[in-house]
Amino acid sequence: MAEPSSKDRAAAWQDLVAQWEKNLNALANRTMGSDEFRKSINQAVSLSAGMQSSLGEVMGRYLASLNLPSRAEMTSIGERLRAIEERLDRIHALLQRSAGVAEPEAAPTSAKPPRTKRPPGRGEKP
Amino acid sequence: MTATGEIELLGPRIQAEVERAIQRNIKGLEYFTSPAPVLGATPKDVLHKRGTLNLYHYRPLADEVYRVPLLMVMATTNRGYIFDLAPGQSLVEFLLKHGYDVYLIDWSPPRPDESRLRLEDYTLAFIPDCVRRVKEDSGEEQVTILGYCMGGVLSVIYAALHPDTPLKNLVCFTTPIDWNHMGLFTKWAHRDFFDVDRLVDALGNVPSELIFTSFEMLRPATRSAGQIKLWENMWNDEFVKSHRMFERWSTDTLPLAGEYFRQTIKELMWQNGLFKSELTLGGRRADLGNIRAPVLHAVAEHDHIVPYDAAKPLVERVGSIDKQELVLKGGHVSVVAGGNAVKRLWPKLDAWLGERSI
Repeated sequence: MAEPSSKDRAAAWQDLVAQWEKNLNALANRTMGSDEFRKSINQAVSLSAGMQSSLGEVMGRYLASLNLPSRAEMTSIGERLRAIEERLDRIHALLQRSAGVAEPEAAPTSAKPPRTKRPPGRGEKP
Repeated sequence: MTATGEIELLGPRIQAEVERAIQRNIKGLEYFTSPAPVLGATPKDVLHKRGTLNLYHYRPLADEVYRVPLLMVMATTNRGYIFDLAPGQSLVEFLLKHGYDVYLIDWSPPRPDESRLRLEDYTLAFIPDCVRRVKEDSGEEQVTILGYCMGGVLSVIYAALHPDTPLKNLVCFTTPIDWNHMGLFTKWAHRDFFDVDRLVDALGNVPSELIFTSFEMLRPATRSAGQIKLWENMWNDEFVKSHRMFERWSTDTLPLAGEYFRQTIKELMWQNGLFKSELTLGGRRADLGNIRAPVLHAVAEHDHIVPYDAAKPLVERVGSIDKQELVLKGGHVSVVAGGNAVKRLWPKLDAWLGERSI
């Protein structure tokens, strides 16, 4: 009987990995679809969310007692600044448009190709 | 085969295996020391930005374009560069080279103050505003919309809520309609087990880690199997490049706006409102029968995120006369991007859309 070639062995190994992946995914899907799993995973998520929220509140109070802003407050200030910058950009763009000045980032109208393309087979080369 | 013949063949085989083993080690080292691949590099301009919303316009790559511009709507869970991975593997580049004028709605992580964004904000404000801007920028009255996954859901709801919309065509990729068939997601988020109010009230926006973990848990062995396949193919530059692109994209999930998530769970999943045509937003009912534009829905045979039964009702229920469902080999992501998509979906999309973009 002939020995299996290295190509055969590589294919067998790939099949083995694919089968292992398929079987494990199927097993996990069956397990994760059970009521027990659903109940426990959702309890864990709720608990984690609750703890994250409570911890944030406690840290916030502690930092407030030290007269320091919390991370959430700093993030919020950063986000507000970003929102103000975006609003300023929009006002700037509106002012430029009303003054008839082209927006610098916009491609010049003359660079736009004509909208005349036809699908291949309708007199257009592919 | 004779014993002599086998021995003669054995030498080159051993040599090839040794060479691959050496290549694996060299390239394995390169893999860990080289920077992440550059993705989403096709030149584009920011047309509009507003918090979580970004509207991009890609610069043309053809001498002439189709009359109707194409607005792509990315899923809210992931980054839009899945449409623009790398030259030769970019759907955006493919469309540009085939003469489409391409715009993209992509999402940034919602800010804490955007946790109150609702489905209404996405479908009655963001998308209509972007459609108006695309019309203004292109100078055309009609727009084709292409949505992927949850981007498809938002596009479908937008189209159903706006029967008078200037929608030329609606293209959806793997878009769930019947949320009773969303597999493990339906089971995990069942109202008897999942307290969505507690989660959203506690966290505001739903963290990206939770989104990523829930996707990963659908196929828990796949990541480990992927690492084994990567090691086997470490000698193969193309395989490694592709693996890195998809790895980076799949781990780059986005947080979701809290109220939007709450509504998705309650109104789409629990009440199955889109499937039953009972979803009401801003006083309007999202009836799929209101959609009259030509519809193309591309779905994947082996989609573990949006199973076929969840996606199937779209083409059945829209009011369009010109409608088509494409069932393609592949999974939720490979149907849209990568070698499989280049061969299967993209040419079919071009053939369908080209005819309808003049």
